[in-house]
Amino acid sequence: MMSISSTPASAATGMTPVPVGGQPLLEAIDISKSYGAVRALRNASFVLAPGEIHGLCGHNGAGKSTMVKVVTGLIQPDEGRIVVAGEEVSFRHPLQAQAQGIALVDQELSLAPDLSVEENVFLGSLYSSILRHPRHSRARAADLLTKVGLEHIDPRTPLARLSIAERQLVEIARLLGRNARVLILDEPTATLSESEIERVFAVVREVVSEGKSAIYISHRLDEVLELCDRVSVFRDGENVATRATTDIAHRQELIKMMIGTELPAPTDESAEEIEGLRSMSITGLHVPGAVHDFDLSIRGGQIVGLTGQVGAGATEALRAIAGLIPEAHGTLVVDDRKVRLGSPTRALRNGIAYASNDRKGEGLFLALPVRTNLVATRLRDVAVLGIVRPGAIAGLARKLASFVRVDAKRIGSRVETLSGGNQQKVFLGRCLERGDVKLLLLDEPTRGVDVAGRAEIHYLIKQAALSGVAVLYASTEIDEILELSQVVVTMFGGRIIAARPRAEATAENISADMTLSGRTVTSPAVQA
Amino acid sequence: MSAASTALAAELRLRSDPLRLVVWGSWAAIATVAVYFAIDTNNKTAGALFTWVSFRTILTSVAYVGVFAVATTIIMISGNLFSLSLGTTGAVTATTFLALLSRGVGIAMIGTIVLGAAIVLAQGLVVGYLGANPIIVTIAAGGIQQGIFLWATNGATIVPSFGDSSFTWLNNRYVGLPLAVYVLIGLVLLLELVMRATTFGKQLYLVGENRRAARAAGLPVGRVIMLAFGLAGACVGLVGVELGAFNQSGSLLVESTFTYDGIAAAVVGGSAITGGRGSMIQALGGACFIATVSDILLLRGYSEGWQILIKGAIVFVVVVLLRINRMRASR
Repeated sequence: MMSISSTPASAATGMTPVPVGGQPLLEAIDISKSYGAVRALRNASFVLAPGEIHGLCGHNGAGKSTMVKVVTGLIQPDEGRIVVAGEEVSFRHPLQAQAQGIALVDQELSLAPDLSVEENVFLGSLYSSILRHPRHSRARAADLLTKVGLEHIDPRTPLARLSIAERQLVEIARLLGRNARVLILDEPTATLSESEIERVFAVVREVVSEGKSAIYISHRLDEVLELCDRVSVFRDGENVATRATTDIAHRQELIKMMIGTELPAPTDESAEEIEGLRSMSITGLHVPGAVHDFDLSIRGGQIVGLTGQVGAGATEALRAIAGLIPEAHGTLVVDDRKVRLGSPTRALRNGIAYASNDRKGEGLFLALPVRTNLVATRLRDVAVLGIVRPGAIAGLARKLASFVRVDAKRIGSRVETLSGGNQQKVFLGRCLERGDVKLLLLDEPTRGVDVAGRAEIHYLIKQAALSGVAVLYASTEIDEILELSQVVVTMFGGRIIAARPRAEATAENISADMTLSGRTVTSPAVQA
Repeated sequence: MSAASTALAAELRLRSDPLRLVVWGSWAAIATVAVYFAIDTNNKTAGALFTWVSFRTILTSVAYVGVFAVATTIIMISGNLFSLSLGTTGAVTATTFLALLSRGVGIAMIGTIVLGAAIVLAQGLVVGYLGANPIIVTIAAGGIQQGIFLWATNGATIVPSFGDSSFTWLNNRYVGLPLAVYVLIGLVLLLELVMRATTFGKQLYLVGENRRAARAAGLPVGRVIMLAFGLAGACVGLVGVELGAFNQSGSLLVESTFTYDGIAAAVVGGSAITGGRGSMIQALGGACFIATVSDILLLRGYSEGWQILIKGAIVFVVVVLLRINRMRASR
């Protein structure tokens, strides 16, 4: 082992040596990158050994995403070097990084839903279009799909028919088909349910066992500890520690490294029941192909968590109640008033506010300032007879920004320049502190948000409930469901399987409900 | 300190935006020409390039192109690309104005503006509520309008009845400039105010920036788009009055270049073709630029082919500059 000299990076930063023998597959050495006055990375280094899964942890804005952008050629560092398999490289363009086998499995999937699985597997490669040989490519597609555990999928199936998890696996197959050596997974599990996560993990482990490596970025620390061999923690643009995960006993240790201090123990506040006047009930909700016989009623002040695997129907149920699915039908009553489904404008007028799980696509107005985003749904409050009162927007926006704890100095910045957690707070801030909202529908309210931001968002949701609003939120994360809900409602195959008060809900029985284990399916709950 | 310097850096980056250079450059060019004529009063040879008369000619075409530019910009901000039949609607409303003159100029003006608004609003209804493709809808609407026009006029050119002078005040010059120039300036200021200071204007930008998000947020997406088209249509009705009074004959020939010039001016004026960005004052800048270029080419005696080619090239260059700039900004 001594014959292998220590690498430049480990010599420079004194980090733990590479655990697996051989040359590091990828080294980023003393990388610095500034955006204006913000130093996103300062002399950050990290080393990826062959055959390892390397976790990257840190708050939003800690520098891990910037590091990923640097090693994938999306941005050029101000300083520092990148070494791939012993050879110094400089990526001017993402294609150059891809040519070196560095492949990013994107958070926002970059596949084409209308094309077949096979076409997607070859998307962007030489196999596509002109050079394609139908039989040859189908065999190769099947081969690649087998590698990612999708052997049961016909390569001719349109991608849109696949679940999010399956699409992610197709994306991995695509990257493997282009000889990826380093797979970078950025929050791959944010949209997946527990069993689907296991499936993706199994594929990643399999791929790594063939001598490739993976970089895994996630806010879900338990997952990082479970999947990764080593983990690097980023804080304020620096790599503060790289450790073998076997040396880390609990995620609290990771959190401590991430924030640099001890986190206060979570207080177990008993959910107080408020007798609210407001209430909402939905009966016989039906969304073709997604939700069946959905009955639920919520009192004001109550927080109800809706969970289930991805595709179980929770998202569609919320969307239907918000009026976003025209073909949905059912009886919705808010405060003894019947509200016809099918129009989001009508829903809002009747006190139903909705926040989608797709913050960028269906939530924020990314190129517009924070200010405009915060007041987007309450322009009426700042206007008289359709004329906006001067200064009123800025005033209301400042108030809301301080309420959701976003720096008031940023209200003039475009919202896309904020970190994920702050974007989410701005997004939710739009639905909060409104006297006319009676029912709050939140789909994955903390997706892509770091630990601190998540706590703040949970606090905001609890506060909304305390003010008498009924909250119905969907989450596929059991931790979050247990943390926030007073009642846990589990769905499977578009139907409600169980509704448990918090006191009776445990991680075990919820995940049993989610997977329908121990039950016999009496109705054809699962649709193709 | 650092916040201030960041803000300054951002401001400088904005200032150096090539698009703004084009727009402000064209403003500067027009100002220069205006100052030149203010000083050099002897130079009044008709037909020469830099004369007070040719400058006024340019301003007159700006007055017409400018209205199409703001109408196109409103539609563009709403996130529905542009209309390909505003020129046709201009011709239809101009003719309608002349046909309605027998009922009095006031009624003719109001009727023409209402008709323009109604024609384009109907298209906005289909685009906004049914989510139809605006290009297809506006092309189809153009065909329908031409068909009805030819059927109603029976191919004849509509002219005002002989000796009717009730509308000629529309062609008069006030303080040296045609009325249409003042109308355009008033319209631009009014619409800029609508865009910036009304709930409709704010919602228009939101809908254009992200239609799905606007829908999920419960904004009245369909209504906003419909009203945007209606507003654009009212502008076209207004220019229809001016064109009818100016040409004193109504035929489909009027339409030819206005649709395209309006789109070109909106793009040069920095409106985002994807929606959510654009301003009336900048659209006016774009119109000045496009109208100046076409008129200079016309006065210099270039053929129509050359005029179209050069305007096309300008739009092309602006789109390329815009892309390069966006790519650099996203780095």
